[in-house]
Amino acid sequence: MKDFLSKHGLWLLAAAAVIAVALSALSYFSSTSAVLRNAVGVVTSPFRAAAAGVSGWVEDKKRYYQDYNDLLAENQALREEVAELRANARQADRDREENARFRELIGLAAQRRDFVFESAMILDRSNNNWTRTLTLNKGTAHGVAVNNVAVSSEGYLIGVVTEAGLNWCTVQTIIDTDTELGALLFRTGDVVIAEGDFTLMREKKLKVGYLPSDTALLVGDYIVTSGLGGYYPSNLVIGTVESVETDDDGLAQYAVLLPMLDFDAQTEVFIIKEFDIVE
Amino acid sequence: MLTTRDFIVKWTSYGAASLALAFLYILTLRGVELFGVSMFLPPLLVGVVASLEDTREGVIFGLVCGVLCDLALAGTFPCVYTVAFTLAAFACSALSKSLLQPGVLCSIAATALTFAFVDALNMLALFFTARADFGAMLSVAVRETLVSCLLLIVCHPVLLYLHRKFTL
Repeated sequence: MKDFLSKHGLWLLAAAAVIAVALSALSYFSSTSAVLRNAVGVVTSPFRAAAAGVSGWVEDKKRYYQDYNDLLAENQALREEVAELRANARQADRDREENARFRELIGLAAQRRDFVFESAMILDRSNNNWTRTLTLNKGTAHGVAVNNVAVSSEGYLIGVVTEAGLNWCTVQTIIDTDTELGALLFRTGDVVIAEGDFTLMREKKLKVGYLPSDTALLVGDYIVTSGLGGYYPSNLVIGTVESVETDDDGLAQYAVLLPMLDFDAQTEVFIIKEFDIVE
Repeated sequence: MLTTRDFIVKWTSYGAASLALAFLYILTLRGVELFGVSMFLPPLLVGVVASLEDTREGVIFGLVCGVLCDLALAGTFPCVYTVAFTLAAFACSALSKSLLQPGVLCSIAATALTFAFVDALNMLALFFTARADFGAMLSVAVRETLVSCLLLIVCHPVLLYLHRKFTL
């Protein structure tokens, strides 16, 4: 190789110079591509196409792999976002329901400005067949006391607090057999007594006993608390008259009352801690 | 004769088993109604344990259960479970010592006996305080007892296992 270069190197340089000058001259004087360049282009074109195809395939695969990884990451991010949005939607539903309850309560509070409310969640329901009580998560630490009444957000009477601990209280519902409330027939203003009954308790109802003989009760009549004696607030709806029945002895009548709500479906109640006594 | 340590372990086991059964009951069956009544676990625990164990131990177990139930559950009057469970434990112990050998039949009878005490007191209380209809109360009491006896399917083997483990 060394011999070859020392023998022919000068000639090769001279030939390269001649070719370079010739190519330059051809390029300068030709209106299209130079002949040689054109010929080389034609010959190399398929190889270039093949190389471009291969490199394109490799690039495509590279891009696919990159896109796949990006999509995985994006998918994961979207899943997290969807989960977060769903959680937000659920929270919004809960907030909306709570807002509705509070709006109704504000309506009641606007009517009865003397009421001081304490909202409470129902922790437990009595699980035996002899009583109907609720255990709430508010107690004396929150100002709740025995004989406070619990109402729904619409102002329907749920029951009376019979026990109050530091952070809990027990509410005897109006259908419990021990319930006895001074009440009014809203339409006529007749004073009656709403009381629990063992048989009706199992049907989630109560009764109005000792009906005066001249009382004209109609199905659908509202029975409200009388407030007499100052133990409980007045005009809280206890229920509506479902039917009028005759006692077993056949001498007296009583009305079956249907409470305004299903206590088993309630999750939150409002305890009235203070109210003005109306005589 | 059990050593003090064995005695403590036995009654701790009974307590733990009772709590576990109560927890299982709360998780699965509380609020479930059959024939219009819900099952009630505590009388069953008292009845079965009292029928398996010595009179003194069974009565103390009944007393403790009664106090706990009166503290934790709503009743027709404040000490209904304490009175009923203590008396029922006596009765169940007498039943298993004199009439029936401890076993499934004895557990069923003891459960029915305990419910009889609890429900009799409930009925008396409601009869005098709320003039409740006696027939309706009796119907509830009978259905409650029958439905609650289904819980023996789980409770009896557990309590019998503990009794055998520490006694035999």
